[in-house]
Amino acid sequence: MLTRLIGLAAIVLIVPSLATAQTQGTPAPTGAPAPAAGRGAAPPANYPPYTRPVSTYVPPRTPDGQPDISGLYLAIPLPRNIETPSVPMAARGPNRANGEFSYSLNERPKLPEGAIVRPAGVDPADGKIPLKPEAMQLRKEIIANQEKVERLDGRVLCLAPGIPRSTVPAPVVGYQIFQKPGYVVIFYEQSHLYRTIPLDGRASLDPKIQKAMGVSRGHWEGNVLVVEVTNFTNNLENNWVIGAVSATPGVPAESLATGHGIPHSDVYRVTERYTPIDANTIHYEAVINDEKVFTQPWTLAWYGFARAPKDYVPIEYACFEGNAKNLLLMTNTDISGIRVNVP
Amino acid sequence: MRGAAPPRPPAAPATKPGYAGPRTPDRKPDLNGIWQVMNTAHWNVEAHSASEGIPAGFSVVEGGSIPYQPAALAKRNENFKNRLMADPIRKCYMPGVPRATYMPFPFEITQTPKHIGIAYEFAHATRTIFLDGTPHMEDLDFWMGDGRGRWEGDTLVIDTVSLGDQTWFDQAGNFHSDALKVNERLTPTDVNHIDYEVTIEDPKVFTRPWKMHMIVYRRMEKDLELLDYECAEHVYEKLFQQKAGKP
Repeated sequence: MLTRLIGLAAIVLIVPSLATAQTQGTPAPTGAPAPAAGRGAAPPANYPPYTRPVSTYVPPRTPDGQPDISGLYLAIPLPRNIETPSVPMAARGPNRANGEFSYSLNERPKLPEGAIVRPAGVDPADGKIPLKPEAMQLRKEIIANQEKVERLDGRVLCLAPGIPRSTVPAPVVGYQIFQKPGYVVIFYEQSHLYRTIPLDGRASLDPKIQKAMGVSRGHWEGNVLVVEVTNFTNNLENNWVIGAVSATPGVPAESLATGHGIPHSDVYRVTERYTPIDANTIHYEAVINDEKVFTQPWTLAWYGFARAPKDYVPIEYACFEGNAKNLLLMTNTDISGIRVNVP
Repeated sequence: MRGAAPPRPPAAPATKPGYAGPRTPDRKPDLNGIWQVMNTAHWNVEAHSASEGIPAGFSVVEGGSIPYQPAALAKRNENFKNRLMADPIRKCYMPGVPRATYMPFPFEITQTPKHIGIAYEFAHATRTIFLDGTPHMEDLDFWMGDGRGRWEGDTLVIDTVSLGDQTWFDQAGNFHSDALKVNERLTPTDVNHIDYEVTIEDPKVFTRPWKMHMIVYRRMEKDLELLDYECAEHVYEKLFQQKAGKP
């Protein structure tokens, strides 16, 4: 346990998104149908059309009759990055982002048999995030100015990453799913985030109420948990709700494969589907809608959750509490004198 | 205030016989829901008159005052003088235990046979209380501690250690060291009220263990849910305003 804590402490100090110690990516599993991009080669442009996994697994039932998916889980690393870059980046391993995971005490969860190795952005089929030109322009500006705190990745600032980013595998990888009558509750080990998802069909909240993790409304479609998430905070442009691990410093926005640098608008909304595949695996899908940012709705999907080992203990990850020194080192920004009024 | 109540027999089942509220499938009192304390302990756990922006309040400390060692009392008084800059809450740090319980924000309990999850609206702090009999991890340092719980009759008992020395008990500078051990006893008296008793033990700071008592109330508004106090966002809002030259 101490080893893992030391690992987490190192993450806090180094700050994942700007870490430069990355050396090599994780090789793609062999036998996958998608061709692996060679070093510097153009990534494959198209994959087979995405189809939702058909699961015959029937979970046990909770006392109130919900499919029981409760328990402790670890993130399964993305098979590739979020997206296929618009402009290939020469001299870069195809899967570098996945190498930054910290599984110091736990075996890295593996993809289920037969899973296709492809970007998590499954629709459109080219694996590219369908950014409007103005959103791409803003993204270029944001990515080119990561040394400025105003443009810095919100996860480096320890802001709540929103949805689906809180589910996109990060260096802190544990989840705890609780179920109680009428609700699913998810605790994220990352930055002690949580969501309470009512299942009773109630309406979302007044649009004047916004939350960093959105307002969630869920229902069960058979054994699949479907969650509509709306009312996201967009008071800071650092709130990027998409983004996998780190953006490589110096990589142009068009060559990024990480989903970084995309602020959402006030109409951003997500439909999530949690599909239990077997007793130990949940497939995750997020359909993303934001007419002000994207040319069309688009979909992220991957095998997201693997049941944690029996002795797994979630550990507090207090991101903001240790962050003032990081910001000073990284951006020469001193927040140590700022105090916030609380009631 | 329950200062006149008779002492509880330790480890006795159902100290408030007659809890007739709903129970979970494993026959424990059902604490699921959103709760909040209605007192002034967040500003000062001891008795205090009103000051600007702060309501007056009774002491929640058994016997009235915290039994500080002399040097620690001097430090508390120094903390009080410096509280506007020194209170960790105002830096948006997680409030620790037991302060998270009595901040003026609601919290939500999710109860299962093996774990109790507590989600706090302030700074989205969380605790996962293990009820599975596993021991504390050794000698660590967490803002919200390492809480292990058990049911004694209808009372949920939580022992929390590894709380570090960075949190306070209130805005008045009442503090502890890294030797803090917190024992919480949550006894539901009916479906909407929990009798909350917390024992504070810290031999580096206090002359003896001491207790606080308060009532936790169920928030009964229909379809209520926790909202956000994303404290860190407000730090950056201030920072960006400062950098943009706005006051």
